[in-house]
Amino acid sequence: MRTPRALRPLTESLATVALGLVAGGLLIWAFGHSPVAAYRALAVGAFGTREDLLETLAFATPLMLTALTFAVGVRAGLFNIGAEGQMYLGAVGATFVAGMVPMPAGVHLAAATLAGMAAGALWALIPAVLKAWRGAHEVISTIMCNWIALHLSMYLAINFLAEPGRAERTVPALPTARYPVLSEESTLTAVLFVAVGFALVVYAYLWGTRAGYELRLAGENPDAARYAGVRPERVVVLSFVIGGLAAGLAGASQVIGRPPAWSLYATLGNVTTLGFDGIGVALVGRNHPVGGILAAVLFGALAQGGRLMEYEVGVLSELVRALNGIIVFAMAVPELWTLLRRRLAR
Amino acid sequence: MRSRPGLVLAVAVALALLPQAAPTQAAPRSFKIAVVSDVGGRGDLSFNDMAFKGGEDAERDFGVRMVELVSKVEADYVPNLTRAARDPDVQLIVGVGFLLSDALAQVARRFPDKNFVGIDTFAQSIVKEKFSAQYPLPNLMDIVYEEHKGSALVGALGALLAAQYAKPHIGGVFGIEIPVLWKFEIGYKWGARWATEWLAKNRPDKAFTYRKDFVLWTYTGTFSDIPKGYAAAKAMYAKNAVAVYNIAGPLGLGINQAVQEIAQSQKLRMGPPFWIGVDANQDWINPGFVIASMMKRVDRGVYYATRWVRDGQFRDLVRRTQGVVTLGIGTRIAGQLAEGISVSTLDDLDEFIRMGVQAERLTRKKVLPASPAEIKSKVKTMREAQPKWVWDAVADLEKKIREGQVTVPMVVTKPDIERWRGELGYRPRSFLAAAYRSPQR
Repeated sequence: MRTPRALRPLTESLATVALGLVAGGLLIWAFGHSPVAAYRALAVGAFGTREDLLETLAFATPLMLTALTFAVGVRAGLFNIGAEGQMYLGAVGATFVAGMVPMPAGVHLAAATLAGMAAGALWALIPAVLKAWRGAHEVISTIMCNWIALHLSMYLAINFLAEPGRAERTVPALPTARYPVLSEESTLTAVLFVAVGFALVVYAYLWGTRAGYELRLAGENPDAARYAGVRPERVVVLSFVIGGLAAGLAGASQVIGRPPAWSLYATLGNVTTLGFDGIGVALVGRNHPVGGILAAVLFGALAQGGRLMEYEVGVLSELVRALNGIIVFAMAVPELWTLLRRRLAR
Repeated sequence: MRSRPGLVLAVAVALALLPQAAPTQAAPRSFKIAVVSDVGGRGDLSFNDMAFKGGEDAERDFGVRMVELVSKVEADYVPNLTRAARDPDVQLIVGVGFLLSDALAQVARRFPDKNFVGIDTFAQSIVKEKFSAQYPLPNLMDIVYEEHKGSALVGALGALLAAQYAKPHIGGVFGIEIPVLWKFEIGYKWGARWATEWLAKNRPDKAFTYRKDFVLWTYTGTFSDIPKGYAAAKAMYAKNAVAVYNIAGPLGLGINQAVQEIAQSQKLRMGPPFWIGVDANQDWINPGFVIASMMKRVDRGVYYATRWVRDGQFRDLVRRTQGVVTLGIGTRIAGQLAEGISVSTLDDLDEFIRMGVQAERLTRKKVLPASPAEIKSKVKTMREAQPKWVWDAVADLEKKIREGQVTVPMVVTKPDIERWRGELGYRPRSFLAAAYRSPQR
């Protein structure tokens, strides 16, 4: 029986997961542990109980959003690796509104969420404008913007958002601006639904509207898109803005949607690398919003399940990280291959 | 298929009829402790490594088993503490460093049967603020240290060296300006002034009067930016400071670099200039140039906590102390001496060189600057090159603190810091420190 065309990416991804796990298993075995016991612990630690499952989803939440940032870029033919910086600004924006601007319940949570998304989108506009009208390559400009965002965000956090007496972090979000914790057993909050909802909205937009179609067309075949009257500047700005909204929401989710700190660390320690991790997640999820959700759950499982693997089987935490890397690598290969082929063919 | 409900029922009945007491009658469970690091992790040669060392000491002396959970990101704190608490054999969970305060307060509430300890944390005050009905949580203990007393000792040491080498200043490089660091700052300055009074009485030939600009000090606004430590220390050594106290964690490496430059340009094999280590025994980092370290024994905290849990004293102690136990100089807990602050000696250098050896094995990077034997001999030579009265005076101050003949001010509030700076030396803050202040403060 032939696999339906729509499911091919899924089967390909599953095959590479299997390959990655086998390679990771060899590594675990080489270090003198039993791969079977290790993977059992990984699975049990990630999905074994309700609270583990919820914690896995808590780790997955920001990743599905930063994956979306990269995925939308790729769909529009862009290498947007600026999720990291956009996410920082999103966290700062959310912290400001959530922690320093009192508002009635309900409105406050929405305002803080939107502030985070808007801050992320505004930051994404810089490389977008540079690309659309000056032709600056987005890889260079987003990398530069990431560094500027890092230092700008730390400056803002330390100078304007700090909590007196708690130098390590900013003021916490006021109780009116916190997503409800779903269960005391984990750090998962209702922000998960917002993240999934946003990913689905983006999916509907890209595959169900004219503007979304134009965006994808520009990514698939820029010449055909131009011939069809698609304005490339519009596509660039649109994809960056959608990506910035997603990254901003990811940053906000770690401040107003993750106990127990409910604030941004002055070192940005509770958000750093989530943007970069999103690139791997997007590749595994085949640059599809829904695929990104599934891939994010897988990454969340590695983060949460790796804990038990280390605890029970004694697999070193470095080895757990290496395993992450191997799986990412194995899963990213088909997508990278497609991307490279497309670039080379051009 | 139809028989399945019957089968399920049979199994359920069989299970229900099994003797329930079987598991509880089993041999006494093994006693495990769990140490959860902050993001510094293994190999930081400071807080986390010392906590793990304390766990190893407890394994050796109390027959417990330690499990280590290294936090890779801040989001790991709660899940790591939770993972440890869910292990039925774990009786004590230690969170290392103040960053774990929020997480400890949350997880300790969820697992009332487990004992939780935070090193340098303020988890109980978070409980008080957020869940005042439950304060103090009976299973949660913050272990804090008398840094002001240790800082007074090294402040005195610095001032005595300044007298010996006829230098006009000592220095202090601080991290982010938080109340905990005020304890170090005022302790250090107070100790320096105490030394000038001691000199006037005991060594009039070397005596000088304490001036308010005697201690040079800078809040760098960072605990991670090593070049800022270098820049601050360089300026102090340029003003001829005899020793600079590191109160900014890794910035000590920047101070060391400033010392190393002077040592190389003047072909020195030994200080002055010196620097003063903090938290761990850092004397081995540059043997001959680190005169001593103000040790905050994180390892002792883990060790004592394990003992208290083993002896069944833990909860009683929490009740009597509102959950905050202070380790320092001459501190007694539950009738036994439980100290956590001291100035490094030659004898405890070995333990910390071992820590360096272990870090080299873990990180596969060069950590120790020379062979352990060579380090030890260099430190010994440096210590012996200082006149005996210097060490005697420091020992005298320690004895006086221990016996309560003198009281080192412990400063943690804004009015207090203003007052003591007025008395011991005030200078407009550095730009960074001023910039750090939040608008509401």
